Amino acid sequence: MAITEAATPSVLMTDEGPPVPSRAWLRRLRIAAPAVLIVLIFVACFVLPLVAPIAKPTGGDILNSLQPAFTPGHLLGTDDNGNDILARILYGGRTSLIVALTVNLLGLVIGGGLGALAAQAGGIVDGVIMRLFDVLIAIPSLALIVAVSLSLGPGLRNTILTLAFFSVPAFARISRAEALRLREQPFMVAAKLSGTSTGRILVRHLAPNIGPALMTFAMLGMGIVMVIEGALSFLGLGIRPPAPSWGNMIFQGQLSLSGTPMLVVWPSVMLFLTVVGFNQFGEALRARWSGP
Amino acid sequence: MSRSSPVPRVVPAVLGSPALRLAGWRLLTAVPILLGVSILMFILLNLIPGSAAVQLLGPEATPQQIAQLEEEMGLNRPPVVRYVDWLSHAVRGDLGRSLVSRQPIADVLPARLAVTGELVGLAFVISLVVAIPLALLAARRPNRLLDRVSMVVSTAGLSVANYVLALLLVLLFAVKLSWFPAIGYVPLSESVSGNLHAMALPAFAMAFPLLCFYTRFLRSDLVDQMQGQDYVMTARAKGLGPWQVLLRHAFRNSSFGLITIVGLNISGLIGATVIIESIFSLPGIGQYLLQGILTRDYIVVQAIVLVFAIITVLANLMADVLYAVLDPRIRYGNH
Repeated sequence: MAITEAATPSVLMTDEGPPVPSRAWLRRLRIAAPAVLIVLIFVACFVLPLVAPIAKPTGGDILNSLQPAFTPGHLLGTDDNGNDILARILYGGRTSLIVALTVNLLGLVIGGGLGALAAQAGGIVDGVIMRLFDVLIAIPSLALIVAVSLSLGPGLRNTILTLAFFSVPAFARISRAEALRLREQPFMVAAKLSGTSTGRILVRHLAPNIGPALMTFAMLGMGIVMVIEGALSFLGLGIRPPAPSWGNMIFQGQLSLSGTPMLVVWPSVMLFLTVVGFNQFGEALRARWSGP
Repeated sequence: MSRSSPVPRVVPAVLGSPALRLAGWRLLTAVPILLGVSILMFILLNLIPGSAAVQLLGPEATPQQIAQLEEEMGLNRPPVVRYVDWLSHAVRGDLGRSLVSRQPIADVLPARLAVTGELVGLAFVISLVVAIPLALLAARRPNRLLDRVSMVVSTAGLSVANYVLALLLVLLFAVKLSWFPAIGYVPLSESVSGNLHAMALPAFAMAFPLLCFYTRFLRSDLVDQMQGQDYVMTARAKGLGPWQVLLRHAFRNSSFGLITIVGLNISGLIGATVIIESIFSLPGIGQYLLQGILTRDYIVVQAIVLVFAIITVLANLMADVLYAVLDPRIRYGNH
């Protein structure tokens, strides 16, 4: 059995998804399609504003507000502050993607490291680390995040730090479960018996073996973090306007939902597509690493 | 001497039940977790700039006014003293009074819990009522049209944020079609139909991701059972029809996994009420929590987070115990 099949904690749960198609091109498509979608979204958000004549996302003219779609110079029209909607979606995507990437990287490195360390060290170290994370997990995630966010204040860096409170324990649990499963494997026992230091075991033996499971979770985590960042900005915390993020665009648009629904629909569609892309990519990776 | 106590003969038999021992052990380990939760939340709330007094008086208040109100609220005492004071009351079941409204929490909480409880309950009912038949139908003929369609829809559904779904539902069913109210709450005691009418959109917004998740989970588990398990082959060999095998044998086995997942989802779902109740202006516990955090009302926040954490612990415990009761392999395994 491959590594990712292990009894992973609740986050991954045993949902296997549809069976892996037998034809090679179909298998490749299951990885390629979401990968292409993700690349397209990244290119649109990070490269397109540099090469195409896209307006600035902020500082619009209020006299120019609420233009319909296909107005010259404003493909998707303008919002109630006269800002170009397309520009706000692309720049907002930058923010959302940067937040999600950094938060998952932090979770992967810190949470993954601590979880593996806890499993490897055992005893008191294990107990202290895992009980601390049990406490963090027992608090409803939004309550924890709202409280942390209020004590840190708004802004990009603080939003990332806030969401890390949520991602680090999740990664730690998975990493620990994987590491515990590997602990009795012959190569681990051999490494230990031949006197390899704990640090070296962690980096050289454990990390390459729990990597795939953590990477898979990171892909699913991208979607989760983007949705929660949205929720945070939606509640008026997180990224503060006028700086755009998909979450705060949805929140601002919601205030005039009946008049200008497209202000909510566009960022929602982008959020959905990005989350679908990462979820499907994660699923495909899981199927590939655990499949035949 | 031998008649000294008749109790021990019964007690070990009851206490010796593995399911109960598991429950007892889990309750014991929950105590430090609950303590940790309340300490962490208290520290976090104290780190947030601006006290409840500052929030209540607004930006125009003079420092003297703030200091006076803080003294009335008891906020000028050191944090450790306030925490110990809160804890010593909380363990005796006294959750205190809200700093902002001065109402005793115990008076407000039941009504708010009822609203949230109804919302979460409805969401579970909707998701299970739809997911179970759908998964059964899909698993009856895997890879056929219904299976494919339900898998694509539920895969997509898992990627929709619940607040986005809530807004789209409001846009479609409240703004465009006017079938349901966009916001507001009608108490169950006032009008049952009015209550369900007001709860329909929020409950569905919460139920949809769950529905997708359960359908996928149950469908893939059922297909696994039907394809690979010996007992399924035995049942078939006995001459049972495909529906009977599916319902009486495979579904029974798959329901264990479903129970565990439902138990694990309860805490997540209660967390989701924070945002859904705010969107639909429902006077539940999630909205109360958010208000409490925004007004720095640490008494309210502590009480709700404690209730949240207790429900989480109990829900996970119930799922585990139920699982142990239902599945003898777990009951007598090495737990």
